Amino acid sequence: MLLIRPLQENDLEALYAMAQSAGKGLTTLPADRGLLAKKIRHARDAFDQRCAPEAALYLFALEDTELKQCVGISGIQARVGLDEVFYNYRLSVTVNASRELGVHVRTPTLHLSNDMTDTSEICSLLLSDSHRGGGNGLLLSRCRFMFMDHFRKHFSEKVFAEMRGVSDKDGRSPLWDALGRKFFDMEFTQADTLSGLGNKSFIAELMPKFPIYLPMLPDEARAVIGRVHDNTAPALKMLQAEGFNFNGMVDIFDGGPVVEAFVHNVRTIRDSMDRIVMIRSKTAEQKQALAGEHESEPEIMVCNGSFQDFRVTTVPASWVSLDTVSLSETIADALGVSAGDRVRLAPLKEAVAGATKYGRKNKHAGIRGH
Amino acid sequence: MWLVRPAESGDLKAILDLAGGTGPRLSSTLPRKEDALAEKIAFSKQSFEGTIPSDESPRFLFVLEDTASNLVRGVAGIDARAGHGQPFYNYRKDALVHASHEMGVSRRVEVLYPSHALTDQTLLCAFTIDPALKNTEAFELLSRSRLLFMASNRHLFTDRTVVEIQGVQTESGEVPFWDSLGRHFFNMDFEAADQHSWALSKTFIAELMPPNPIYVTLLTPEAQDALGKAHEKTRATHELLQREGFCAGNYLDIFDAGPVLEARTDSLKTIVASHAAALHGTPSEDGEPCLISGGEHVEFRCTVSSMTETLTGDAKVPVKAWHTLGLDAGDTVRVVPL
Repeated sequence: MLLIRPLQENDLEALYAMAQSAGKGLTTLPADRGLLAKKIRHARDAFDQRCAPEAALYLFALEDTELKQCVGISGIQARVGLDEVFYNYRLSVTVNASRELGVHVRTPTLHLSNDMTDTSEICSLLLSDSHRGGGNGLLLSRCRFMFMDHFRKHFSEKVFAEMRGVSDKDGRSPLWDALGRKFFDMEFTQADTLSGLGNKSFIAELMPKFPIYLPMLPDEARAVIGRVHDNTAPALKMLQAEGFNFNGMVDIFDGGPVVEAFVHNVRTIRDSMDRIVMIRSKTAEQKQALAGEHESEPEIMVCNGSFQDFRVTTVPASWVSLDTVSLSETIADALGVSAGDRVRLAPLKEAVAGATKYGRKNKHAGIRGH
Repeated sequence: MWLVRPAESGDLKAILDLAGGTGPRLSSTLPRKEDALAEKIAFSKQSFEGTIPSDESPRFLFVLEDTASNLVRGVAGIDARAGHGQPFYNYRKDALVHASHEMGVSRRVEVLYPSHALTDQTLLCAFTIDPALKNTEAFELLSRSRLLFMASNRHLFTDRTVVEIQGVQTESGEVPFWDSLGRHFFNMDFEAADQHSWALSKTFIAELMPPNPIYVTLLTPEAQDALGKAHEKTRATHELLQREGFCAGNYLDIFDAGPVLEARTDSLKTIVASHAAALHGTPSEDGEPCLISGGEHVEFRCTVSSMTETLTGDAKVPVKAWHTLGLDAGDTVRVVPL
């Protein structure tokens, strides 16, 4: 079983191994035991409410319960830009026109901005290579929206994600080469790492403050503004399916886009519904497992709604009925729920047009086990 | 002899030839359209006569005439107030130091700020001369006669005087600074923009020019090289103005990034060294070559002639020069050594 739960101190080694294999792309999780341990402590403080809600960093672990090992993580930063300054470029348009000359010129322009300050950010998604595919990435990403849904007052009305921008296999970013390098006197990876570690004061000190007129940049640099790295394209697609859209902000270093959504409009949250837990008999479970019945069924996320011990896993859609969900004992135990408890459900994958919606299927399929 | 006098309507054709004959732009302030130029000459005449409307500032246009042939060989101007009631645009090159203590980085970042600071200062402009006269006394006469005029009519001019020097342009007519910056915003050739800047109101500059400062490091290397650099062809003018006491400061032309030379009007060599003297005759042509100006308003004349000065402060000048200046014995002239 794959289970989402808060990240713990004993996940350090697993996290270190994942950070190591992720390489330089993931600057918020460098392969450094000291820093990772600090992150974990920070997350523990958040779940145990030992820090102010605005300062919280929630990190979730995806645990393979058979291996008893953390195989992925994802995070939510409750608010960005509170103790450091959060920078983006806003991509806007400057229009210069002269009626007298019949000239009308639009100039795309980058304005340095702190507009995302005080907004919640989803971040730090990392999945071990051994567990890619099968919706594990979706679970890691979408469990965060279930957490936000339960505890809305801890987050802002909007939630955003910074998508990794274009760079080549050597870590060279065309935008950085045309713009940042001229002011920072360092390599893209170095600047990116520093900023990922939260050392942002150097940005304020070295970054150009005046707007940048894009026609003055070379074509290669202009072409990557608002574009994502090929490796990030699936993540972008997933967030778009959740209702996230490019909000006109881009990363100041590599030009990667910022996508955002109103929390109440996030698909996982809109499509979620509460059900009462029932426990399935062991025999029914075994029978079903033998028949391999729910192999092809859509999966539904089930979440226990606990703050301190937040847990999410998936169950087959057929386990859900009109007002209840029948969980196996193992799953109920893993979620820390028992019969009669209320849990919140949401589909793991977006509904494909024409497919039946979970819950309804049972209604028409008649009685099955209860 | 060489004579500098106010431009008249009859000089139109000659000035037009001069303005068009120096290749792509030797002077941004001379229109190449007949009606626009005629208007400019008429306004200059009114300025000399003192009959312009009180809310306008005078703009003077002088021509260089060869008295033997009556041919006009050069033209030069003074705008008493740069911008002439409208903003006068420049870039001011300035520097910011981006330093990070933590990173041990300190970097000088050069920035071009749009500026109107030179608006309303006296501007020497429109200097255009037959290329054959380069390095002759006529060249110096035409340029410096304006300063003698200013010395005699000091109240019309401001305490600081500026001159725009043409910037870098390639043989094929390309202007690297324009191509790197202005072209993106004005959507036209340098040539077109430059002509518009005279022919139309300057409103189009306000409308089309990028409103924010420009980082020099984002310009093309060719454009960066051109900042504050004078066109090869302007060297003689440039050197002459430097001898007068003009210095390049931080201001640049917004179109080609040519330097703007600045000076304190009262410190200009010609203005400091010139003085009034009574005109007297001499049969001899010995003596120092001098610039001699006289006459008021439209009667202003300036020539170059030999002169000896008496102990009592009289200027002894060959009678031939009197005629050129249209003056008689005893009239006051202003003189300065060449």
